[in-house]
Amino acid sequence: MTPIRKHFRSSSEFAPAPHYRLLPLRFGRLDQRRYIVTNDVGEYVLLSRDELSALVERRLPTDSELYRALKARHFLFDEDSDCALDLLALKYRSRADQVANFTGLHIFVLTLRCDHSCRYCQVSRQLESATSFDMQQEHAELALEFMFRSPSPNLKLEFQGGEPLLNFKLLRWIVERALDLNRTHRRRLQFVIASNLANLNDDVLAFAREHEIYFSTSLDGPQDLHDAQRPRPNRDGYERTIRGIERIRAAVGPSFVSALMTPTQTSLGCVEQIIDEYVARGFHSIFLRSLSPFGFAVRNRLTGGASTDAWLAFYQRGLQRILDVNYAGYPLREEYSTILLQKLFSPRGSNYVDLQSPAGIGIGALVFNYDGSVYASDEARMLAEMNDHSFRLGRLGVDSYDAMMTSDALLDPLASTLLESSPMCSDCPYLPFCGADPVFHQATQRDPMGHKAFSGFCAKQMGAISHLLTRLEDDPHARRVLQSWV
Amino acid sequence: MNDETIGAFDGRQIRVMIDLRSYRLSAVKKAGYRIAARCTLILGSPLEHDLPVTFTFKPGTDGSTANEAVRAYFQELLDQELRESVVEETAPLRALILAQAFSRTDLIRRG
Repeated sequence: MTPIRKHFRSSSEFAPAPHYRLLPLRFGRLDQRRYIVTNDVGEYVLLSRDELSALVERRLPTDSELYRALKARHFLFDEDSDCALDLLALKYRSRADQVANFTGLHIFVLTLRCDHSCRYCQVSRQLESATSFDMQQEHAELALEFMFRSPSPNLKLEFQGGEPLLNFKLLRWIVERALDLNRTHRRRLQFVIASNLANLNDDVLAFAREHEIYFSTSLDGPQDLHDAQRPRPNRDGYERTIRGIERIRAAVGPSFVSALMTPTQTSLGCVEQIIDEYVARGFHSIFLRSLSPFGFAVRNRLTGGASTDAWLAFYQRGLQRILDVNYAGYPLREEYSTILLQKLFSPRGSNYVDLQSPAGIGIGALVFNYDGSVYASDEARMLAEMNDHSFRLGRLGVDSYDAMMTSDALLDPLASTLLESSPMCSDCPYLPFCGADPVFHQATQRDPMGHKAFSGFCAKQMGAISHLLTRLEDDPHARRVLQSWV
Repeated sequence: MNDETIGAFDGRQIRVMIDLRSYRLSAVKKAGYRIAARCTLILGSPLEHDLPVTFTFKPGTDGSTANEAVRAYFQELLDQELRESVVEETAPLRALILAQAFSRTDLIRRG
């Protein structure tokens, strides 16, 4: 029999050294004078190069304030640290808990038909009359069956298009059928319609009120900008959207409608006007999104010009405007920053599916396309519209749940893009605040992991997090507002 | 690393010699990966403790840009070397923390 000692390291290897012992940490430059040091659970400190060297070389005086701060935030432990490792393990488990919950977001693409002709459209819309691009009820039934195989206690059904209200009959059927099936499954269901609201009517509103359905709409900014970017016959897209927002607030409730903006080269230059429009329309949140490298956006060469640097300038100016709005007494939250702040300050991090490691594809979100295909994310089906089917997991009615969820199309990119084992990411101090984005890197580099030195996603994340940290650390007024968003 | 071991920019490349007693090979490679958008590193065979490294730049790169990239590389190399020592020291602890974190999960039963 093999002695047990051969399989275990000596307990002395885990004991603190006479002075102190380092806990796992990562670091990098925040700016010319400061380094950011983080650990696996998202704690961070800013140090000078000398302080960092002193920490690593164990030259820190144990009676210094810095030593106490580093010890309190789990960057080192000593003989007085009773439960440093247990605490870290507990915090790590809390942050990773959502992985065990598995798929929560299920997107139903009810149709590719749309009445708008947005220049940046990412899903290759079809004409309003092209009903062959509608999802059929048989596929919807199979999709619901598929969805309830997820062990997640919270299931969100998001209806997308094209314009999903152009297939409202099926939307209504899916909601009622899901509620019916849920009498057995007993999950917490939430319904969201992602719509331009141009086809909103009394029937839709009554149905939404009855089932507490949320609406997510597009508002790109002031009327001129919105209508230029989201053309519609009669150029009345903006009017219809604004009227729709007001009707939902009145009929369903003020919190049942939110809006998203999509940036273009034009809008990158007028972030202040976009934010002012959101305030004027009574919104208390705005998501300063970056443009995805998919669909008509690529064909119209909108991604090349809207470079990461330009987007970062847009984000920084936008954040300043939003802070100013808050200073003036109007509460307004920026959603991308909020996700990052949750990762910085919340014990559970953020459940935003696009910033997870392992990536959120498949295990955070799934897409049932109008034609019965199942994709690992919304961006994955956008990629498929560009003839890259890398993340197509299978087809409803043909491939089983087990086959799709254990397919190479899902497991290979999940395994190969874990940040903890990706070059550059594995020792990046921003790892706890970031995520893997295999679909973005497949789209831009034809490789799910991607080389981060060439990655627009990486540059965007690094730039935004650095800026946010700088505002938090150097501006007490900004810090107060930013922390209130978590 | 001292100035004598950094060659001049010849319009396309800069050749340097890195002392492997000061920097781990893994740190040399990782630092090179990080600056891949600025230049490509070609590692030669080590001679005793000296590793010949050639920094190759895109056509049209000027001398000051090239020299700045090499300076940034060595700054990054210092950080990377420090990271390697931290990882080496804390790797067993990280494994222990992760093992403890997931010791009471029911991932298998959930599946």
